[in-house]
Amino acid sequence: MESRKVILSAPDGLHARPAGELVKLVKGFTGSSVSITAGGRTVNAASMLSLLSLGLKCGSELEIGVHGGDEAAVLDAVTSFIQSINA
Amino acid sequence: MKVSGPAKLWEKKRSGAAVRSFDESYGLVHAELARQAETEPVFAAHLEILEDPMLQDAVHDGIASGLSEPAALEAARGSIVSMFDSIDDEYLRARADDVRDVFARLGAAMCGDDTSSGGILLTKGCILVADELLPSDTSLIDFASVAGILCHRGSTTSHVCIIAHSKGIPMQMGADISGIHDGDIVEVDDPLVGGIGDIVSRIRAAGRKLYINAGNLDDLCEGMAAGADGVGLFRTEFLFLRRDSIPGRDEQRAIYRDALLACGGKPLTLRTLDVGGDKQLPYVPMPAEENPFLGLRGIRFCLANLDLFRLQLGGALDAAGDVRRMHAEWFADGSPLRLMLPMVCRADEIRQVKDILCSLDPDYGNLLSLGIMIETPAAVLDVESLASESAFFSVGTNDLTQYVMAADRGNGSVAYLYDPMASPVLKALDITVKAAHSAGIPVGICGELASDVRAVPVLLDLGFDSLSLSRL
Repeated sequence: MESRKVILSAPDGLHARPAGELVKLVKGFTGSSVSITAGGRTVNAASMLSLLSLGLKCGSELEIGVHGGDEAAVLDAVTSFIQSINA
Repeated sequence: MKVSGPAKLWEKKRSGAAVRSFDESYGLVHAELARQAETEPVFAAHLEILEDPMLQDAVHDGIASGLSEPAALEAARGSIVSMFDSIDDEYLRARADDVRDVFARLGAAMCGDDTSSGGILLTKGCILVADELLPSDTSLIDFASVAGILCHRGSTTSHVCIIAHSKGIPMQMGADISGIHDGDIVEVDDPLVGGIGDIVSRIRAAGRKLYINAGNLDDLCEGMAAGADGVGLFRTEFLFLRRDSIPGRDEQRAIYRDALLACGGKPLTLRTLDVGGDKQLPYVPMPAEENPFLGLRGIRFCLANLDLFRLQLGGALDAAGDVRRMHAEWFADGSPLRLMLPMVCRADEIRQVKDILCSLDPDYGNLLSLGIMIETPAAVLDVESLASESAFFSVGTNDLTQYVMAADRGNGSVAYLYDPMASPVLKALDITVKAAHSAGIPVGICGELASDVRAVPVLLDLGFDSLSLSRL
């Protein structure tokens, strides 16, 4: 499993719209399962309910984990998406 | 609050036993939502929630652990909704309603009811009539369609009633519902919703100050007698309007002294003369302006008419001096007299007033505290500078809304823009509260919004220290 820690810089945190986009992105990687860990909880990044339940705010530290498939490439794609959320 | 509307009888169609499995119900609801999502974006969000693996996993886990299918659904609903409710973010908390909605549909489908509103099909604005509503019924009621609830049995502390009240829906218990048929026009009377008592109890429960607005001494005495913690806005225009000469310093001194005495040591927020705009003084020449609301009004008018302004400031200082001689104890923790300047845009305006006060009495700082109204976009955008010159803030939501939205509140064709709960106005409120608190000064609200039952929870959440109501 590949993993990486990032700090969420989106000013409004991970709210419904970017969470929905993240779910779409993650569902596109059919061979990989992606998880997000924050505040001691690990959730499935393909579940919007789970993502929202983390209550991620601007400045929250989260860890992206990728299992299966082209782990490095998926990790890069998810990382750059999370870092690009700016609203 | 009293509401009336067509009655809709709550009939239990369920036998208690599920008639469909979760998986079968899921398929039905999924098909129905997919169809509705094509036309209504809100249902697309519901579809996404329905398709979420967390939801299905939670129910399947419950069933696997030995729960009955309806019990597993209820357990999953409870755990997911409580997860949302605990999130410290208003937007996300509101998504819990979408989750409830999806679970309500699943619950209805499992019980053999195919209506999209859950338990029974409710028309918008109906009065739900029931013998008794149980906690488990809550998820089956589409509260968005319900204007009021009439019950034979139940209490104000029941789950359904708490939920209804949290949504501002009146609910009356102990009603005789026999003889009511679907479609009969019935009335619900619930003093706990929409009334001033609801607002007062919310402010008290949040531990904030409850002030009143007063336009004359009678209003003021009445409000204080009703238990206000002080006066958040004492309009002084009544002294100046409907007469043909400027009220003298001694005349003003007597009125302000009576007002301070009526407050009994509690704060009196005296707003300096706020004319211009739509209010004219017959004895002060005021040239016609093309845009009176962007013209010489509020503090601008006073600073342009210093002779008149000095009389008011002098009268206020004299009154505070009189009262201090009578009740020195009221001044032990600072003066109860709060002088409030309207329409401030620049810190310089506050400094000019301080210079005048100082010229009238160098000890003015012990006689009154000087604060401002926040009601212009300039004041919000430069709020830190203003905070450094002010002892308190009070937001006038009526003018602030009109200036932020650039919409005349008297102009019906732009009335849709004049919304004090619009996001730009709420952002302005949020900025103001944060700046005040980081400067260590109290911030209140004295516009009509503070008397709006729908707005009060939001204002309390934003952190306002005091809400000043038009009436108690």
